Amino acid sequence: MGTAAIAVERLERSFDEVRAVQGIDLEVDEGEIYGFLGPNGAGKTTTVRMLTTLLLPTGGRATVAGHDVIGEARAVRASIGVALQEAALDPLMTGRELIRLQATLQGLPGREGRRRADALLERVDLADAADRRVGGYSGGMKRRLDLAAALVHEPRVLFLDEPTTGLDPVSRKTIWEEVRALNDVGTTVFLTTQYLEEADQLADNVGIIDRGLIVAEGPPAKLKAELGHPHVRLQLEEGSIATAEEACARIGRLLPPVDGRTVLVEVENGAADIPRVVRALDEAGVAVGSLELVHPSLDDVFVAKTGEHLEGDEEGGERGALTA
Amino acid sequence: MEAATLPIPTWRANLATIGALMARARNEILRVPGAAIPGVLAPTIFFLGLNGVFGALTELRGFEVGSYESFLVPVSMLQGAGFTGAAAGVNLARDIEQGWLDRLLVSPAPRWVLLAGTVLAASTRALIPATFVLAIALPLGAGWPGIDGLLVTYLMVAAMAAVAACWGSMLALRFKSQSAAPLMQSGMMALVLFTTAYAPLALLQPWLADVAEVNPVTEVVEAARQGFVGGVTWAGTWPGLVALVALLAVLGSLALREMRRTNV
Amino acid sequence: MSGLATNLRVVRALGLRSIRQTFRRPQLMAPILVFPTLLLAIQTGGAGSAVDLPGFPPVQSFLQFMLAGAMMQALMLAGNSGGIALAVDLEMGFVDRLFAAPIARYTIVLGRLAGTAALGLLSALWFFAIGIAFGAEIEGGIAGAAIAVLLVTATAMAVGGIGSAIALRTGTASVVQGLFPLVLVVLFLSSAFFPVDLMIEPARTIAEYNPFSFIAEGVREPIVAGIDARDTAEALLAIAAIVALGMGLSARALRHRLRVG
Repeated sequence: MGTAAIAVERLERSFDEVRAVQGIDLEVDEGEIYGFLGPNGAGKTTTVRMLTTLLLPTGGRATVAGHDVIGEARAVRASIGVALQEAALDPLMTGRELIRLQATLQGLPGREGRRRADALLERVDLADAADRRVGGYSGGMKRRLDLAAALVHEPRVLFLDEPTTGLDPVSRKTIWEEVRALNDVGTTVFLTTQYLEEADQLADNVGIIDRGLIVAEGPPAKLKAELGHPHVRLQLEEGSIATAEEACARIGRLLPPVDGRTVLVEVENGAADIPRVVRALDEAGVAVGSLELVHPSLDDVFVAKTGEHLEGDEEGGERGALTA
Repeated sequence: MEAATLPIPTWRANLATIGALMARARNEILRVPGAAIPGVLAPTIFFLGLNGVFGALTELRGFEVGSYESFLVPVSMLQGAGFTGAAAGVNLARDIEQGWLDRLLVSPAPRWVLLAGTVLAASTRALIPATFVLAIALPLGAGWPGIDGLLVTYLMVAAMAAVAACWGSMLALRFKSQSAAPLMQSGMMALVLFTTAYAPLALLQPWLADVAEVNPVTEVVEAARQGFVGGVTWAGTWPGLVALVALLAVLGSLALREMRRTNV
Repeated sequence: MSGLATNLRVVRALGLRSIRQTFRRPQLMAPILVFPTLLLAIQTGGAGSAVDLPGFPPVQSFLQFMLAGAMMQALMLAGNSGGIALAVDLEMGFVDRLFAAPIARYTIVLGRLAGTAALGLLSALWFFAIGIAFGAEIEGGIAGAAIAVLLVTATAMAVGGIGSAIALRTGTASVVQGLFPLVLVVLFLSSAFFPVDLMIEPARTIAEYNPFSFIAEGVREPIVAGIDARDTAEALLAIAAIVALGMGLSARALRHRLRVG
């Protein structure tokens, strides 16, 4: 629906012999929130830097807000707002000064820039701290300020590179609310993250990138549904893993383990298979610490496509927990 | 939403951006206690030290100037300009390391505007150490250069600082690291001092005389020195102006080239 | 004495670390040699005709005279950078780790100074190489050169001691770095760059009493004239005075730091 806010075709970036981005295609519609998910080093930040004209692609093409990132870089910059991973803030400036500077950089007239700066500071709950130096802000405050600065010129497309990495849960929720509010008024958001829950909660569409290639793409619900089956997560005593795996393998498909005390087995019939699992383990003499039924998460999608778990996976999908 | 356009005429936006970047540069002096002191003091210390040390050179035949203070003070002022400009390069390198420059690069501001902010900030800032040195040198025996001499000297100082800032910025953008700082500083030191800085051309050792003759900054030193050792003439001024314009053109375009290549 | 043996081992270990750190980052080491070399070139080229001044001591060339000044400058920079390195260690928390260990406090400073001494040694050798390459003669021969090198190395450590004291007191690298202009002032107000008799007042009077003048003369004599026991002795005394000052300041700063935490 509508024209593409971001269109990427065979986009590539190499650094000497390292191919950080190996030819990716994606399309983000206007008004969409697109979540770009992947582990550290997958190529997320490199992709964002190419789309925001900070880095020249070494192959392929991309348009943002209808402008080519190479040939019409300045028009791209006028249309986008960017909040980068290293919140690029000057510790000697106050919050208010920073947003006003951003307004000037974007070409806004003085009075209008000041008005918008004040309004945005209110909106991200930094009005009280606005005249304090950024150097004294907490991590959450800095991110909110960075976000506010990215919005001062009401961009069509907003790029957020790992906006909540390192933040406490409360600050994270605040940022999420803000992103949703922006999207409600029509801003397209391109968001990179290593947190499944973030992609799950916010994104209309998710692209999963690993080692420079997109391995899966689509709405989160659809991607998870494609996998179909939930899995049982067993917490066991050390030394009983092998026996447990052997027992479970007869009931469902074993998944790659996350640590040395957990066994994951995919079960076709969901909760109905739990008694079978428990019986099999009992017969094998394995003591179970805890047992959960875990519905497919984006991590499972990642595992299905790459054979590995996503890093930074702190919360899985929805859980039905049973503890022995 | 409609396509984004710059809401006010470009030239006005560019001027506002340059002004905002210069204002930010001022924070370094105004908001970090003591940060300005080395930059302001260093040229004065060099002046006092060199004067005390080499002052006797004026007794040599061939040194037509009676007062070594008069001979030396314009050099110290230009040294301060070189130091200030190089320091602007170091600050840019720090901005690059900390990711601040990315904020400027993703904005629609043209690259030359970003560079102009750094360069003009250095240019104006260099007037401070220059004035400090002058204020110390005058009571110590430096001759009053006259208003025309003073204006010419300050012009040379501001332009030299701009040259140094272009040099420092070029290196900062090329190496993206503050560890290039010594190269920035020593480059400018060499440029200003491999001239008739300490003695007239006739009294320099032959190898340095040869270098000084081809070094464009010798003309700048001589032009800045005019008011202090004699009188200001157009013939004594224009070679210095030409030298500065040429240096600005070369180093400025190299710096701009690097600014444009940050995304390569 | 197991206590002394342990402490010596610690000094050795910290010393090796300090030396490795210094030489692993040539871009930090380079200015210590580059700036004085540049200034040596400029000063010999620009003020070289000073040898024609009435009253200038008999030397082969201005370069021969100035070598000592260049070495003095380099050792001051080396001492300053030693102080900066210690301040960085303090900022990073490395020194806290050392404080918590069962080692004598002085080993921390001594170990740090090993790197400074290495730099001092290197700069002395560097300027001898430059001097010889550009035709300066070392009147005192190998023995004279050795004395000069030893004095430079010892002075670098002495200056490093003062830098360390400042680092311990302030704990901030940028403060130590900002004191560098003062370091230059001290040198200018000495006979490092020019004969004292030909300096302008008040620099001349200050230089007559400046301990660094004695050190500069001690380094210079073997190069321009030959070994002179009195000059060497005076230089050693001056170094001892600076060492004593540095040690005193360091001890006070250490006590203050440990009290305040």
